[in-house]
Amino acid sequence: MQNKKEFSGIFISNFNLQNFTNYIDNDVGFPLIETELAPFGQVTNILLGAKNETKHDFGFIWTQPHAGFESFSKLMNGQMVSLSTILEEVDVFAEAVKKYSSFVKYLFIASWVLPAYYKGMGLLDLRNDYGISNCLMRMNLHLADRFSDKNNIFLLNSQKWIESAGEEAFSSKLWYLSKTPFVNVVFKEAMKDLKSALKTVTGNSKKLIILDLDDTLWGGIVGEVGWENLKLGGHDFAGESFVEFQTALKALKNRGILLAIVSKNEEVTALEAITKHPEMILKKEDFIAWEINWDDKSKNILNLLRKVNLGAQSVVFIDDNPVERARVRESIPDIFVPEWPKDSMHYVKTLHQLNCFDIAARTDEDLNRTELYQAESERSKLRSSLNSIDDWLVSLKTVVTIEKLSKANIQRAAQLLNKTNQMNLTTRRLSEAELSLWAKQEEHELWTFRVSDKFSDSGLTGIISIHIKDDTAQIVDFLLSCRVMGRKIEETMVRIVLQFCISKGITKLIAEYVPTNKNKPCFDFWKHKSGFIFNEEQNSFLWDFSNVFPDIPQIEIINNA
Amino acid sequence: MRDEIIAILLKVCNELNEQLKNKIEIGKGEQAPLFGKQGVLDSLGLVNLIVSAESEVEDKFGKSLMLTDGTSLPEANSPFRTIGSLAYYITDLLEDEKQ
Repeated sequence: MQNKKEFSGIFISNFNLQNFTNYIDNDVGFPLIETELAPFGQVTNILLGAKNETKHDFGFIWTQPHAGFESFSKLMNGQMVSLSTILEEVDVFAEAVKKYSSFVKYLFIASWVLPAYYKGMGLLDLRNDYGISNCLMRMNLHLADRFSDKNNIFLLNSQKWIESAGEEAFSSKLWYLSKTPFVNVVFKEAMKDLKSALKTVTGNSKKLIILDLDDTLWGGIVGEVGWENLKLGGHDFAGESFVEFQTALKALKNRGILLAIVSKNEEVTALEAITKHPEMILKKEDFIAWEINWDDKSKNILNLLRKVNLGAQSVVFIDDNPVERARVRESIPDIFVPEWPKDSMHYVKTLHQLNCFDIAARTDEDLNRTELYQAESERSKLRSSLNSIDDWLVSLKTVVTIEKLSKANIQRAAQLLNKTNQMNLTTRRLSEAELSLWAKQEEHELWTFRVSDKFSDSGLTGIISIHIKDDTAQIVDFLLSCRVMGRKIEETMVRIVLQFCISKGITKLIAEYVPTNKNKPCFDFWKHKSGFIFNEEQNSFLWDFSNVFPDIPQIEIINNA
Repeated sequence: MRDEIIAILLKVCNELNEQLKNKIEIGKGEQAPLFGKQGVLDSLGLVNLIVSAESEVEDKFGKSLMLTDGTSLPEANSPFRTIGSLAYYITDLLEDEKQ
């Protein structure tokens, strides 16, 4: 039986991309992609001739610069052409691409490269005035500049794909026989990047790395040799490799990826090493949580995930020990446990090759994510010190700010819409442009919710939207970041919608639950805490307008909508 | 030499299968159909086979090999019918070069 494809994409090129789409068609890894290959050599016609009925989720454009740009081709043929003339041609291409981007959710463009054997101007190839490689670099940068205001266009670095195939990346023979310039290794690498990009834009990137300590973050067993004798830094190749690995992890942390520890050790001994070893790049505050004890690691991972409110599908577990890896893989199937090299000198490369930590946009929330989770940990501590949940909620001094969708928040709203899994009623996924268009329609209403408390500002973490027809409203989106779940924000969102409906004379409000394998927490909220009547047959919830939704005195609301 | 060429062709076909909907039946060994009436390769598949086989043979034997005559792609009744027929063809080409 044919598996259902998660995406459909159109592939546009000025060379033969059949080998590329053949790989995609036959690859069984997530996500499955249905491909349509546009006739090659028709790039401009296809881009400018697109109509609204184009039904592809994404487009992929891969062109060769010398075939697509007359002025650049002239430069390659030894004629004098000014850079401004070439960049004007790039502008024309960029405009066509931008126009086309409104017909698809996402548009991926491969950067331009020339064959490695092409020597251009040789020694002078990087000269400003007539160097060909210099010109191509500028063309790529110019193109990137032109797309900086478009959040659904992504320029992919094709140089990486070429490098993976080495000197033989370009095949003259394949070119002459089939108008395919690249060998298949290049296409396989490109496919990996495309799939990774699709996972990223749809919120399937990994958010948390759980790390072992001994022989993973440092060399040696700290409980046996003491922190002073660990292999970490110094004039030692293994020590240097662990420092480099920590540096790479810190870079991911600075980009918004969370770090945590699960290790079989004495907690005091391990934390002492982290705190006292002078060459530790990762500090205690870089980790959002840790479980350091002698219990089973799977059990510890599940405890940790409960603490930080994340699902296993968002997690990568890194451990040098193959037995521990196998055990975790077996007991928590959703977690990604990559094979890990024995030699620490391969750690950094392996980490980069995981290819699962990309982000589609960089928001303030991403950059402060570790701090936000640490604040959550403070909240949990406070919660366990108080007698009741209500006391705890009051003590948090939570403020919810409600805003309509705007230019200022659309990027974060689209990001949230596309990555929220657990507290998500319908798991509708839309690009930024689609969301903006949808919200502008008269029969649609959408509110965003920013949440802050005395510990931190969690930022825009909730969205609710409705479709109105006559006196009936249906909730289209109801989603809330797992960071703020269970703090009466859900109830606040429902209350805001109910108040709106009452003010507009709406007499029927329905919420239809679309189950996924991740959104049961949302169902539980609606069934047990929303006050709506559940219709099991239709998997939907209905509000009885003779009821009054209770006040939520624990939350201060600022309504800017 | 022929056994080594068969091994090379099986490896090439195995890699090629990653992008084929209808796979080359590698389990049939030398009898596995490639191109022509019984074959699974279309013209692009055949080009991929030719380029990969030439490259692998060159790596193994250090000899440049040209499986196409430069004018057109092979016909259906060509040496590209099966892995075995292609292996004979490559062996002959390499041995001719020796003489």
